[in-house]
Amino acid sequence: MPGWQAIYQQLKDKNFEIVSVAQDTNGVKDAGPWITAANPTYIALIDEKHLVSKLYNMVNVPTGVWIDEQGKIVRPNEVAFVDDRFKNFSGLDSAPYLNALRNWIEKGDKSVYTMSEERLREKLAVNDLNVILAAAEFGLGEHLYKSGHLKEAIPHFKEAQRLNPKSWNYKRQAYALSDAKSDYGTTFMDEVEKAGGSKVYYPPPDLKPAAAPKDKKPQE
Amino acid sequence: MKWRISTGILSLFLLVACVSARGEETHATIIYDDHATEISTANKDRGQLWVTTVDLKRATGFELKPQGVCRNELCFPVPKPRQQEFVRKSTGKTWFNVVAFALLVHQPVVHDEALATWYFGLRSDQRQGLSSLEAPDFTLPDMSGKLHSLSESRGKKVLLLTWASW
Repeated sequence: MPGWQAIYQQLKDKNFEIVSVAQDTNGVKDAGPWITAANPTYIALIDEKHLVSKLYNMVNVPTGVWIDEQGKIVRPNEVAFVDDRFKNFSGLDSAPYLNALRNWIEKGDKSVYTMSEERLREKLAVNDLNVILAAAEFGLGEHLYKSGHLKEAIPHFKEAQRLNPKSWNYKRQAYALSDAKSDYGTTFMDEVEKAGGSKVYYPPPDLKPAAAPKDKKPQE
Repeated sequence: MKWRISTGILSLFLLVACVSARGEETHATIIYDDHATEISTANKDRGQLWVTTVDLKRATGFELKPQGVCRNELCFPVPKPRQQEFVRKSTGKTWFNVVAFALLVHQPVVHDEALATWYFGLRSDQRQGLSSLEAPDFTLPDMSGKLHSLSESRGKKVLLLTWASW
């Protein structure tokens, strides 16, 4: 978060806002200390019910989405690192992503990093009934946990994990609420290993500059 | 002894008949739009959940109207020939089948039997945002509890960023 505050300082006068949203079932109790430490001047929200992940079909954190001045998505869900703290694990440099972000702030829809509508639709399409059901199972699990029924919540968290195995949020949030080893018979690192390692856990952002279709329009 | 058993069996039959006709009375917790409502008297019947129209409004904000099941300007017509799957009258009240309604509007419903809790996910109309490429709006609190909506940043470029403490 301190990293994002520095980026925000550099870019905020260019009609730019950061809306950060903590996906934390225990809300301020868990996310609060991080926000207090970073003391951001951008918008920092608390999302106990993982609503944003549900609405945008996000499966991991940190995830970034670019939204233009009209409220339209121009780059969908992708891993968004602000520094290289996790580079040993992820193998990902943060610089290319941050450069792409700066490019967009400067150039708007002329930026080669915004995606065509066709590509966006392809990336955002969710017609998988299981993914939709998984979100409901996770929501039920969260409600039961919050009302003091962790034991009853676990089968619903497990069902969410089974229905949407791509969601790391469903795994990690559930593990954080109990003992992964005894309640889920696994650990986070075992799961990453099983899935094929950190390259699968953090798929690198797709930063090949697209031939922006808008640039191909006839000159006025 | 014999008559006792047959009386027992008879009353069992009566009970079964009763249950199959009217379902089973239950307390229910309904979570709709991530908001939980306690319902003291609902009716559970072969996977369906019936609540009074008063509780329907309380739990979901939806009301029965001549044009369909409505909340503000949002209305879902109920197919006429299937009316009895959704609405029935008994004990002087009008009951509405919230599980059938969820299926009608392509909304996932999951349920915890032991805690009599039903969770309703996003309706199909709430999932349209992504295919229109319009960023789905949301309203959430900051640390001090003050609410912010994504749409308040309209007119600016926004980096929406999720993270977590875990």
